[in-house]
Amino acid sequence: MEISLAPETIFNIGNFPVTNSFIVTFFISVFIIISSLLLRGRIKLIPKGFQNIVEYVLEALLNLGDSVTQDREQTKKFFPLVATIFIFVILSNWIEIVPGLGTVGVNQLHHGENVLVPFIRSNSADLNVTLAIALISVGTAQFMGVSILGFRKYAHKFFVSPFRKPYFIGTFVGVLELISEFAKIVSFSFRLFGNIFAGEVLLTVMLMLVPYIVPIPFLFLEIFVGFVQALVFAMLTLVFLKMAVTEAH
Amino acid sequence: MEVLSSLGINSKLLLAQIVNFFILLYVLKRFAYGPILKMLEERSQKIEKGVADAEGATEKLKEIEKKEKKVLSDARKESQKIIAAAEEIAEKNKKEIIQQSEEQSEKIIAEAKKKIEEEKNRMMAEIKNEIAVLVVAATEKVIQEKMNIERDREIIEKAIQ
Repeated sequence: MEISLAPETIFNIGNFPVTNSFIVTFFISVFIIISSLLLRGRIKLIPKGFQNIVEYVLEALLNLGDSVTQDREQTKKFFPLVATIFIFVILSNWIEIVPGLGTVGVNQLHHGENVLVPFIRSNSADLNVTLAIALISVGTAQFMGVSILGFRKYAHKFFVSPFRKPYFIGTFVGVLELISEFAKIVSFSFRLFGNIFAGEVLLTVMLMLVPYIVPIPFLFLEIFVGFVQALVFAMLTLVFLKMAVTEAH
Repeated sequence: MEVLSSLGINSKLLLAQIVNFFILLYVLKRFAYGPILKMLEERSQKIEKGVADAEGATEKLKEIEKKEKKVLSDARKESQKIIAAAEEIAEKNKKEIIQQSEEQSEKIIAEAKKKIEEEKNRMMAEIKNEIAVLVVAATEKVIQEKMNIERDREIIEKAIQ
């Protein structure tokens, strides 16, 4: 058993390395796209089955968003990004529950050793994925801030003249804010990566130690962790978006 | 950069993931959020309208009930009035009829009495005549003698009275 921090490359297309987590991302994306296409043709005023589930989730997110922004219009503006993050991340997290994780794969030669490379790797346990979403999340916050407040007002959050009211304190806080924007990217990506990677390792190890019954509570734990992490990612994105479009005082 | 690659970060994969996420965002926004949010709004509007309609209907029903009650009580009052009036009229009629009949019967009785009186008088007179004739005849027979009629009569009448 070898646990790799980085996703393993299964094969290459040209010089693009197709990793196991990329394959999972691909399948999740296809699943989401097909579901939404199927859903689109079947949206009715009186909901049924799948539409009910989707509506329930979206409405819950919408209400949660309202409680943060206190403004329906703003919630609607932020909603697509936040909901997409939630849906994509929760599905990515829950992939780790799928049986065969870490056990079904191909044998490859690594550093002169023959190791098993699993086909399924939760794509949240791949820093490329979490970093990508974190970049989009923080980048969108900057974009929203500039487009709603205007460039000058938004820049004032970070670059404060040392000759005005709170003087150097204001300038210092501005610099801290600037640093915190970059820290957000790191904290976003490593929080999700760390949680899901740890969960994956935990499940694999438990499965190796005691194959029956014992891993079940850990499966439930991982379902819970996956949900919480997805919610945290989405809510933090929402909060940061809200903070970005709120004027500095 | 060493650190990044040892963590598995690869610029090609990162870019691919970013592109992938944007595709997802577009598809979901276009095919899921848009229609569903629209539908949610439509439904909530419909429900609001339904609730408002129901409230209106209840109000109307209440109003109608009120009206109905009023009409009923009015009708009851009216009917009581009519009954009272009818009773009054009937009472009056009864009294009138009784009075009339009493009058009538009194009149009849009075007439009958009068008639009886007349009859009696007439009979008395007749009887007197008869008696006078009989007395005359009897006296004639007794005294066997015919007296002067006028005188005779005088005497008899005096005797009778």
